[in-house]
Amino acid sequence: MQPSLILRSGRSAWKGPYFVAFPNLREALESNAAIRTQARSCTILPNFVGIRFMVHNGKDYLPVTVTQDMVGHKLGEFAHTKKRFTYKMTKNK
Amino acid sequence: MVHILGVQLPDYQLARFALTAFYGVGHKTAHRLCARLQIHDRCKVRSLTPHQITELASFLASPSTAPPLLRVPLAGPSFKAAPPSVPAQDLRNAFLAACKKGGADPLKSLKIESEAKRVVKDNIAHQRMIGSYVGKRHAMHLPVRGQNTQTNARTARHLNKVDRWG
Repeated sequence: MQPSLILRSGRSAWKGPYFVAFPNLREALESNAAIRTQARSCTILPNFVGIRFMVHNGKDYLPVTVTQDMVGHKLGEFAHTKKRFTYKMTKNK
Repeated sequence: MVHILGVQLPDYQLARFALTAFYGVGHKTAHRLCARLQIHDRCKVRSLTPHQITELASFLASPSTAPPLLRVPLAGPSFKAAPPSVPAQDLRNAFLAACKKGGADPLKSLKIESEAKRVVKDNIAHQRMIGSYVGKRHAMHLPVRGQNTQTNARTARHLNKVDRWG
């Protein structure tokens, strides 16, 4: 994680990054089980790398596999909440 | 008209505003550049000396390898001269030590033009690669920070792309 990323985030540096403590982190890494979470604002820490998450997008849980490059971002950035609008012809007309 | 590194600086403008013609140089950086090269605040581009223009060009060509600033400390109001018993060599060493003090040079990491554009492109490419929302919005040519898109959003439609040029 770049230290400047924390400084630029708008959050006080003395607080450090915001994160949620997942109690089952180690088991998840060993068993490769997905962690279901609604904590979209949780910062991805270096020890999350390799863990599979199921992140809530407001409707369902989307799979997110954490890689090294994602460190410092938030979990919610990877579970998109919006669908792109596509025009569908109405069936009954 | 002065040409520096392929950028035209109009003669009639103040030097510190003309310098913002470089991509990656805003008012603050331009002011700092002027301070570094001892160009005064009201100096217009047409009155820059050839020496200042070459200095500016050589500095902007590679800010990271430019020779470090000479910092000469000034005596404050509470300055007391050392007694004559102190050897001159000690005074000299103390002065040189004071010259070396001071923070990091903020212009050392200055990036302009194509280098600055590459930084922007790299940041967008990083977002796109990790599959974040920001990268996705760039790829869709849409605003990134939650602005409305039903109308307007012209700037984003124009500029936001993975291989952004400006």
